[in-house]
Amino acid sequence: MECERLASILLLSRQSRITRNAVLTVWISEWTARLRFVAQIAPALVALAGCGQYRTDRSPGTIQVDIETSPTSTDPRFATDATSSRINELIFDSLVKTDRNGQFVGHLADRVEHPSPTEIVFHLKHGVRFSDGRELTARDVIFTYNSILAPESMSPKRAGIEQLKSIDAPDDYTVVMTTAHPYAPALEMATEGIVPAGTSLPSKENAAAPIGSGPFQMVGYARDEAARLERNPYYPYPSGAPRSILFKIVPDPTVRALELAEGVCDFSGNNIEYDVLPWLGSHRFLEVSRTPGTTYKYLSFNFRDARLRDLRVRRAIAYAIDRKTIVNTILRGTGRVATGMLSPENWAYEANGTTYSFDPTKARQLLDQAGYTAGSNGMRGLRFEYKTTPEGARLGEVFQAMLQRVGIELTIRTLDFATYYADIQAGSFDLTSLQWVGINDPNSYYMVFDSQKTPPHGQNRGYYSNPEMDRLVEAGMSTVDPKWRKKIYGQVQQLAAEELPYVSLWWVDNVAVMNRRLVGFDAYPNGSFRSLATVTLSGPGGGGQWQ
Amino acid sequence: MAPAAEGSGSDPVINYLVRRLLALVPVALGVATLTFAIIHLVPGDPVVAMLGETAAPADIVGMRHQLGLDRPLLEQYAAYLGGLAVGDLGESISYRKPVSRLIAERFPATIELAAAGMLVAVLLAFPLGIIAGSNPGGAGDLGAMGFAIVGISIPHIYLGPLLMILFSLDLRWLPLTGRGGLEHLVLPAVTLGTALAAILARMLRQSLIRVRESDYMRTALSKGLSARSALVRHGLKNALTSVVTIIGLQMGALLSGTLITEIIFSWPGIGRLLISAIGARDYPVVEGCVLTFAMTYVIVNMATDFVYAIVDPRVRIS
Amino acid sequence: MNVRVRNPSLAIGVTTVAAVVVAAILGPLLFRADPLSIDLANTLAGPSRAHPFGCDALGRDVLARVLSGARLSLSISTVVVAISLVVGSLIGATAALSGGRIDNLVMRGVDIVLAFPGILLAIALAAILGPGLIDLAIALTAMGWTGYARIVRGEVLTLRERDYVLAAESLGASRSRLLMRHLIPGVVGPLAVQATFGIGGIIGAEAALSFLGLGALPPTPSWGNMLDAGRAFLLVAPHLTTAPGLAIGLSILGFNLLGDGIAQKVGHRA
Repeated sequence: MECERLASILLLSRQSRITRNAVLTVWISEWTARLRFVAQIAPALVALAGCGQYRTDRSPGTIQVDIETSPTSTDPRFATDATSSRINELIFDSLVKTDRNGQFVGHLADRVEHPSPTEIVFHLKHGVRFSDGRELTARDVIFTYNSILAPESMSPKRAGIEQLKSIDAPDDYTVVMTTAHPYAPALEMATEGIVPAGTSLPSKENAAAPIGSGPFQMVGYARDEAARLERNPYYPYPSGAPRSILFKIVPDPTVRALELAEGVCDFSGNNIEYDVLPWLGSHRFLEVSRTPGTTYKYLSFNFRDARLRDLRVRRAIAYAIDRKTIVNTILRGTGRVATGMLSPENWAYEANGTTYSFDPTKARQLLDQAGYTAGSNGMRGLRFEYKTTPEGARLGEVFQAMLQRVGIELTIRTLDFATYYADIQAGSFDLTSLQWVGINDPNSYYMVFDSQKTPPHGQNRGYYSNPEMDRLVEAGMSTVDPKWRKKIYGQVQQLAAEELPYVSLWWVDNVAVMNRRLVGFDAYPNGSFRSLATVTLSGPGGGGQWQ
Repeated sequence: MAPAAEGSGSDPVINYLVRRLLALVPVALGVATLTFAIIHLVPGDPVVAMLGETAAPADIVGMRHQLGLDRPLLEQYAAYLGGLAVGDLGESISYRKPVSRLIAERFPATIELAAAGMLVAVLLAFPLGIIAGSNPGGAGDLGAMGFAIVGISIPHIYLGPLLMILFSLDLRWLPLTGRGGLEHLVLPAVTLGTALAAILARMLRQSLIRVRESDYMRTALSKGLSARSALVRHGLKNALTSVVTIIGLQMGALLSGTLITEIIFSWPGIGRLLISAIGARDYPVVEGCVLTFAMTYVIVNMATDFVYAIVDPRVRIS
Repeated sequence: MNVRVRNPSLAIGVTTVAAVVVAAILGPLLFRADPLSIDLANTLAGPSRAHPFGCDALGRDVLARVLSGARLSLSISTVVVAISLVVGSLIGATAALSGGRIDNLVMRGVDIVLAFPGILLAIALAAILGPGLIDLAIALTAMGWTGYARIVRGEVLTLRERDYVLAAESLGASRSRLLMRHLIPGVVGPLAVQATFGIGGIIGAEAALSFLGLGALPPTPSWGNMLDAGRAFLLVAPHLTTAPGLAIGLSILGFNLLGDGIAQKVGHRA
């Protein structure tokens, strides 16, 4: 059989090159005599494939989820990237969690009390167990928070809970958090995943992944390959739900689509190109779901550029960009034209504010008023640099064409992400487009628009500065009464829409593509994978299974 | 074992090997320096990449200090070279593991892929080159060279998905991604090896044509040897030298090709380690990976030079 | 077969290359669709009468972009290959003739460049040099000269060992004349192959570099950046890559045959 011949040559590759070359030469001269290579190479490869008798190792009850990057940390005290957070949500529980509408609801805590504006009391559920069988008590909660706060931990999450003055456990089932000042978004500090007391910091010798009290535990993780999750035996198991989840890291978007189409991958969340969705949808066994999301895409101005400090120029740019058409074409309808950072689902959303519908005539008028008159070729001597990553170049070209129609020239610089990000943090850009993922509490406005929060202290990368805005976002942070907060953030949203530190582009829909053998997936506006723990598996599923 | 009378010290082969091995040092030094300079000079900060934008400025400063990134660049360079001298590649910033261990974990996968790609290249190139070279201008020549043109025109990044669509999605013969048995290796190896196959096939064809038209070939033919066997005996032997040279020459391209091939096929090799380390500006990992690639390249080239000397007695080892 | 063109490779090669060059020059004049105008209603539209090769991800005419991109891609790749070839050959020959330390130094330099992963160099060059065609040419030449240097050096070294050269040298023949007479026929073949494949490689490298912001700035089309932009749409709109792919393939074919032809012609003279 040709199959064996090829295999024996393959084996030779382990021996010295010289021997291999010699053997190859003999082999080749034999073959030359027959002069039938072209006809034979292809079948030989096929035969080789036939030798393998390939089977997937997919055991019953396992689902495969393709993700685009490796989670950076399996420890919830350190993980800040989206991939880690999504996976950790399935493994670790927090005191409270957000529901579909971004409201905080009890999770480990079944009751939350606010005895004073600076004090929160959490009453823990009884009988919650880590995946090693130990019961989760207030001691574990205190340990988790203290290990984040310890200076030697260098945890990136420390800044997020620095408002915390103390955290105590009067008994095993009560946790008391106090803040120095009234701090409205205090419950956000109660969303950290809890690990058992005594869990070591991610050490140099890379201890096993920490365990949690959520539905799954991580049983294996190889970076750039896969992470395998299995059920926490002490967590109630809904019958028919997946017993294990294989998170496979597949960096190439085309290949992720192929894995879905082949039935190898069961689920993908927000990592498939929009243009490929109709093709995937045409497969009987695949379901494409689009649900409104909270991810907010915006165009950011650099206020250190005098031209961009002119409100008329910013408005002209807002009027010149046809967001509705972009959503309908480039995004294939998977988004909603945005009015501000908070989406309509948010409790603090303000519906009344200045909006900028596509109006190039108005844009030209504004530019004329600002003193940038059009030359004979229609251009106005306004030239801005738009920085972006390779993935964002396509959108940049759309902006470029749209702004050119009103006489503004955009030059596009594409840079690898790390360089791009360094430039943006350093304020070396005129215009750029980024997105906020997981916006929940309106206090986010403080981090992005307060004049004190320029990098590295916050994310006001455009150096926007307005005393009125500062006053509002600082008041919103220290006002605890939700009614007042809603009022304050209503004003913040109106001011932002009026002043345009950002041009709001769109809220991106959550797109899930899944094999129809997954039944009952509940999409969250923030794109959470949480309901993978509760979907049911029906039958072997469609698509090509390897036999 | 060399006869005792000759003495290993004066053995030209040993001498040659020792000198070539010593020549690794300046190359390693050059590559290490270039990598260090490049990765430290391009914008981007490993601490920001690791801690994310939510980290407190004080923590970022603290971690930079802890990692020694706030020291003068020359001092860091000296420390890096000092480590290299004793075989210490440093510790990864984002993985918190010794770089040498990370590389040791991933290197076999990359070598497996590169070797398989090379094998595919040779397996494809010899028949194609011989078909084309033994009857230039004929139908076989056209077909083989057509393949070569296609092979060289299609970048890995297209060939990979095309092979996946054909052999995995449509025909269901081979798996899409991942590393495992032989069946997992076929598509990545073909993706990686095709371009090299095209180059080798053209080289072989050229060599065979040159041999065909040479005096000794005419002599051989006049002696009554059959054209084909003469060509195979003289031509292949002669062509082998160019093939070996080209393999060495293309080793860099082949190793670079593993970067993209590993990404497409989710192959857990050193290429993906390098790409993600560049993205995270994980300086020690970038330096370690580049050095590994470079040393692999240089050592393979040493080996090809050695083989060259064996197959072509005209070249003296000196 | 009775009658054969003496050098079919050369004939077909010249014709193909000429055809591609003519298309690059005249194409945009004859096919008058605007390669830059965006039409979002037509994104990824398939081939039609108005757009024979369809439209790209921004609704721009693919044929118009291929024709317009030809000028940039062809000129950049030929210029870069020519410079690399001259520079590389000079360095290679110098190294081989000087021998000793200089040879060692040069070859270690070649090793360093060849062994260095292109992507890292590209990121660095993109950050240091910035956009623009001259910067692009510098970057591509910096990465491309080594192959030629090695070929020429290898050939000179082999040649120096050959009996007839040693004999001629001992008879007092000028070294450089000897080299020219014997070196050129031997070296042109491999160089031509390297160069013609190099052209394809340059087009590909241009794509990789434009991906990182070095080279042709958007919206200027080049075959490389078209190929790169079409990558995400391979499953749903393969026509985005077919046209630039065919153009690249055809050019490589032409240059290859041209290279073969030249090699054959020069080889005969020996």
